[in-house]
Amino acid sequence: MAFTLYSLIQTAILCVNAVAVLHEERFLSKIGWGADQGIGGFGDEPGIKAQLMNLIRSVRTVMRVPLIIVNSICIVLLLLFG
Amino acid sequence: MDYTSDSAGFRHRKLQSKGRMKDTAPDMSDPNQLFDDTSSGPARHRTQDMSSIGYPAQGLLSEPVSNFAMAYGSSLADHGKEMVDKNLARFIPISKLKYYFAVDTIYVAKKLGLLVFPYMHQNWEVSYQQDTPVAPRFDINAPDLYIPAMAFITYILVAGLAFGTQDRFSPEILGMQASSALVWLVIEVLAMLLSLYLLTVNTDLTTIDLIAFSGYKYVGMIVEVLAGLVFGRIGYYLMLLWCCVSIFVFMIRTLRLKILSESAAEGVLVRGAKNQLRMYLTMAIAAAQPIFMYWLTFHLIR
Repeated sequence: MAFTLYSLIQTAILCVNAVAVLHEERFLSKIGWGADQGIGGFGDEPGIKAQLMNLIRSVRTVMRVPLIIVNSICIVLLLLFG
Repeated sequence: MDYTSDSAGFRHRKLQSKGRMKDTAPDMSDPNQLFDDTSSGPARHRTQDMSSIGYPAQGLLSEPVSNFAMAYGSSLADHGKEMVDKNLARFIPISKLKYYFAVDTIYVAKKLGLLVFPYMHQNWEVSYQQDTPVAPRFDINAPDLYIPAMAFITYILVAGLAFGTQDRFSPEILGMQASSALVWLVIEVLAMLLSLYLLTVNTDLTTIDLIAFSGYKYVGMIVEVLAGLVFGRIGYYLMLLWCCVSIFVFMIRTLRLKILSESAAEGVLVRGAKNQLRMYLTMAIAAAQPIFMYWLTFHLIR
């Protein structure tokens, strides 16, 4: 399979975009993955689901602004160079 | 292990051939030191360089302005070098990387033997020295980056060789092979990091450790492709079987001590979802290696 580093970057951008568009109220809370439903107790084992919810929430918080910049660059480059 | 003979002498000779003034004997008896002590080398080299530049300039153009310009230029270069070093150190931890390249020939030979034949080795624990892991030179179980880096480059070259013997070679193919293998490595390391995070495994495995462990399979891949080139498809499949089993056993025995909890690693059956998940993770990581080994080499053998 011919993978280039550019396709890796594309894949990464697409995956992070996919995580960023998961809406907190409309979607995640409906399926029980909301940020307020994660913290069960103070045991030392958060469990996989809690870790995943934590990860989604932190990705959405951290990557919001950089994603705007990166997506704009991608749009401009794709418009210019196809 | 014999430190004083070849590796120290080789480095000593190499330093001397580069024109550095170094008159102290290399210090090999201290396990805290990763490399020989060359701290006096660069400073002396720089002052010697500047003075050697200064004298011919004074001889050629005996003008104080050009002398001043020369000194200013070299101080600018030093300043730039410092800035580059400082900024580089912020992104890539150079001192941590140095640990992974502190190897010598005996370690490399033993580790390569261990990668293709891990069945006789008994003690897989990494030895520590006051909370810091010992350099790979002194402990065969420590991960290093020298073997993976060299094996990766050799894999690219061997892939080019395989393409050449089948009249399929072109320079772009080498670049494509290199980037494909690199992308798979990145994906594998990211998947391992993600699964380690999701399972909240408290381990001292750093990202560079994971890169090192993922890079060990390139040794097996090189052996497979070479066997396939020399002995045909039968040789390739036999060697594939052997190297896949060896790397599977190697990874399980190495990762078991790092990922599983202490009691579980010693073979005691610890019941519990956490340890079961961790065992599954270890087996998944170890099973991914043969899959990648097959995936990245089967198209090279026709």
